[in-house]
Amino acid sequence: MKNSPATKGVKEVLAYLPPGLEKILQYLDEKDCRELEEIRLRVGRPLLLRINDRECTLDNKGRIHHEPDRGYTVSEDDLRRTVACIMDNSLYAFEEDINRGFITIPGGHRVGLAGQVLAQGGEVRRVKDFSSLCIRLAREVLGCASPLFNLVCPRPREVLNTLIISPPRCGKTTILRDLARFLSSGGSSWPGCNVALIDERSELAGCYQGIPQLNVGPRTDVLDGCPKHLGMGMALRALSPRVIITDELGSREDVDAVRECVNAGVQVISTVHASSMEELQKRPMLKELLNLKVFSLAVFLSRRQGPGSLESLVRMNDYAD
Amino acid sequence: MLIKILGAALIVSGLGGWGLYGARRLRERARHLQELSMAFGYLEKEITCIYNPLPLALAHTARFAPEPVAQLFSVSSGLLQGRSGMTARDAWLKGVEKLSRLSPLEEEDLLLIQSAADQLGASDASGQRKFLSLIQEHLNMAEQTARNRAQVEQKLYAYGGFIAGLVVVLLLI
Repeated sequence: MKNSPATKGVKEVLAYLPPGLEKILQYLDEKDCRELEEIRLRVGRPLLLRINDRECTLDNKGRIHHEPDRGYTVSEDDLRRTVACIMDNSLYAFEEDINRGFITIPGGHRVGLAGQVLAQGGEVRRVKDFSSLCIRLAREVLGCASPLFNLVCPRPREVLNTLIISPPRCGKTTILRDLARFLSSGGSSWPGCNVALIDERSELAGCYQGIPQLNVGPRTDVLDGCPKHLGMGMALRALSPRVIITDELGSREDVDAVRECVNAGVQVISTVHASSMEELQKRPMLKELLNLKVFSLAVFLSRRQGPGSLESLVRMNDYAD
Repeated sequence: MLIKILGAALIVSGLGGWGLYGARRLRERARHLQELSMAFGYLEKEITCIYNPLPLALAHTARFAPEPVAQLFSVSSGLLQGRSGMTARDAWLKGVEKLSRLSPLEEEDLLLIQSAADQLGASDASGQRKFLSLIQEHLNMAEQTARNRAQVEQKLYAYGGFIAGLVVVLLLI
């Protein structure tokens, strides 16, 4: 594997894999590295990779196969060593992350965990005996939100409250991150402003020990791992942001917090999971949010021409429920 | 005659030295067990109060503990900081191996320390507290037994060596 920007993210992840697996994945070429989205390790089952839209596996000589059965079988030891390395052999230091179900590693890559979950009183108390890992590579695509810049900022010093809508894996988070970077950095048509990024799942800024690993701009304050509704309130009170950016709205608290921010004169840009306006209307909280006409612009994304394809735009002022 | 006297002196001092060495090992074993117990206490604080990652917690404990007990912690910490796919278990066992070469600890003591390998860093803070306290308790018990044994046996070793030397000399004469 050569040293290049395309392989940088993959190399960051490989550092956490046991030597055997690392060696196999070293055979990936530059194109595959650039398009690699996910690495899945499941005990006793084949190593699976998601490269762009394809799912494939690698055998122990690093050859790509599309039939999972021909792939390298992940052993219990592989998983144990990977988990140990990701957690720095210190499970106790990652209790909260484990209970949330994922850990963010340097580079902003997210490792989802599955195993035996012990719940008590409706809350996850502990996850143990890990059986599979889903490593999602953070993709920083600088400029991927450029088609949206003029829509979100139609005039100098004006930002529209914007909702980015798409099914999972359509590039919402990547676009949101690039919007944060643009709004914070500024450009020829936009002077740049304070941005508060509420990153509940450490995906937007990819913080590791509180420091953003991805470029979110020079005027961006990141509240990492903070519940959205609490983060929006904290940012409003303490960080004097012009724009608050957060991912995946959904709960009653989130809706109330967004309304609070907008009423306080702060613009909000966020995302939700849905593929159409009809689907949004079926979710009570989001329906309420739409009816309140908090957001001025809704942007629908798809994977039609790759992640982040701009599907349609809806001016919410024109939208009648 | 002079050669005979020199030979006798060598035998007595040799066996006497061996006896003194045995007595010192008995005392040192008890002292090392005590130092290990204190080091585990320090490690427990590093883990359960400060939440330092294990490699760092081990490195700090190595700085706290006296030699050669510090080697157990510094070797395992160094291996973990190397990020070579090594688990805490592997690194800890290497540390125990190093300690066994430098310390008069006995098989049962080493087995007790080795038993920490599977637990170290592998549970939440309360789990770590329980297991580290348990190890300390066992070490304290082992230390007490070692001290009692040292009290009884160190004189035996110290005088026994010289007496054995004299007996050998008398037999040879």
